[in-house]
Amino acid sequence: MAAISLKATVFEIRRNRVVATGLAITVLVLFAVTVGPSLSPYDPTKMDFTALLKPPSWTHPFGTNSFGVDVLTRVLYGARNSLLISFAGVSLGAFAGVLLGMTCAYIGRWVDATAMRFVDLLFSFPIFVLALMLMLILGFGVQSVIIAIALVYVPNFARMARNTTMVVKSEPYVQAAQLMGQSALRIMVREILPNIAAPLFVQFTVGLAFGIIIEAGLSFLGLGVQPPTPSLGVMMADGKDYFHRGPWVLTLTGAALTVAILGLNLLGDGLRDLLDPRLRRRSAE
Amino acid sequence: MNFLWYLVVRLGGALATIIVGSFLIFLIMQLAPGDPALTVLGDAATTETIAAFREEHGLDQPIIVQYAIWLEKAIQGDLGNSIALAGKFPISELLGNRLPVTIFIGIYGLAIALVISLTAGTIAALRHGKLADTVATSIAVLGISMPDFWLSYVLILAFALSFTWFPSYGFTTPAQDFFGAFYSGFLPALAIAAPMAGVFARILRASLLETARKEYVTAARSFGFAAPFVFMHYVFRNAIIPFVTVVGLQVRYLLGGVVIIERIFGISGMGSLMVDAAFGRDYPVVQACALTFLGIVLTVNLVVDIACAMLDPRRTH
Repeated sequence: MAAISLKATVFEIRRNRVVATGLAITVLVLFAVTVGPSLSPYDPTKMDFTALLKPPSWTHPFGTNSFGVDVLTRVLYGARNSLLISFAGVSLGAFAGVLLGMTCAYIGRWVDATAMRFVDLLFSFPIFVLALMLMLILGFGVQSVIIAIALVYVPNFARMARNTTMVVKSEPYVQAAQLMGQSALRIMVREILPNIAAPLFVQFTVGLAFGIIIEAGLSFLGLGVQPPTPSLGVMMADGKDYFHRGPWVLTLTGAALTVAILGLNLLGDGLRDLLDPRLRRRSAE
Repeated sequence: MNFLWYLVVRLGGALATIIVGSFLIFLIMQLAPGDPALTVLGDAATTETIAAFREEHGLDQPIIVQYAIWLEKAIQGDLGNSIALAGKFPISELLGNRLPVTIFIGIYGLAIALVISLTAGTIAALRHGKLADTVATSIAVLGISMPDFWLSYVLILAFALSFTWFPSYGFTTPAQDFFGAFYSGFLPALAIAAPMAGVFARILRASLLETARKEYVTAARSFGFAAPFVFMHYVFRNAIIPFVTVVGLQVRYLLGGVVIIERIFGISGMGSLMVDAAFGRDYPVVQACALTFLGIVLTVNLVVDIACAMLDPRRTH
């Protein structure tokens, strides 16, 4: 059964160009940020005063910054941090949101009503406004950015988990588990979660993409990750200071960022399309 | 349930949300580090002057009382004074200057996004599966993937530095020069519009394609109605409802983008005010800005819901 569905999945991925493109870009980006830094002949912190602010060339494909550091090497290190921060933030948000959403759907009544009004309220805040207030309380830095991203994503995951749990809750196999006297926690983890995982996974992929934008945006404003920790946002904030003299630093760093986000968005879109007909087929049965 | 009743319920809900939201903002700002008494009094503060300051500003009262005092004043239009700006500038005056600028840029960006997305989304749906569709959907996903603050600099590089068609910095307010505002606000509005246009175009395309498959559309075609007539009256009229809903939901992203972009282009609006206040730890200003942003989002959502209810009377049932 598992082997068949795996084969079918591989077949569908090859047939679906969007997933294939998204997957290819994402794998390439992951490869670049994991292996890339060790392949680079340059050091991400070593300054070279003979090559200050050099435009892109064969020796420095992304040019050098105002300290003579190779921008491509810094992009590889920075992207690794940006991805990790986004991953940590979205994971935290997904965990808290799914827990909240499933609990609400399972318990229902006033708990559900109250918690969901609160989720609606969080949903009404402009994203950077919420994040900015949070940074004020927690102070600037990596941890605060992770928590800010998590808080932005709690409502998304809570709503999605709640709505899908509501549908699955009344399925016969959940009722069977209830009749067998299984605990609520066990039913939620063993029976419900696997059946609502697909849309949550799609949300996670797309969330990862926007999480990178939030990190970059906050750090770009100077409210997020603080230098010397490299992140794509920090590097772009640095590049804006001498944008007129060396536009390539900001522009090419942002281009790399866009490619990574594009890959994740295409992957999320494609997976949504792939998973959707199956969901429809299941509900038709 | 009639339309009027729907209106009353929806309005009451929005009012309740803004009150709970204002309390949440108030609580968050209480948690922020730093003592306002110390910030204002500075190094000259003594135990006596701090105690006097706290009593004068009601800071010795329980939080819920402090909130009630703040809310009562806020309703009367008094949002307190800025701590950081010289002369303890009244915040309501600051907002009065800044808010129209942000609203102008926001509506300008939204208008550009609507023009692009309505055109691209409709073309993509009509030419489903053809080259135009592929091109439109590819550009849409690219638009969504570009961080707007990066796009701002790309636009500056292309249209302000390479071709000096637009200014790279500064903004003329509509009050100073009405047409100048459209000219100087074009690049920032375009940068804000790009990601939204991508989202809107995709939703319109999907919605048009799904509506076109409906049985009543097939029925309308079988009556022999002309294709443009069927498209306008049967497909587009119904497909536009989810589109309007998404436009409303995107306002929180739009305002998020404004926060960053105003600083890049040197626009004195709400966004740059809030970021400056955050750096200056000017908590009353941050608080007032956050409340204003929340108020805008809730108002727009209310308007969108009412618009949807008017487009689709089934919703009020």
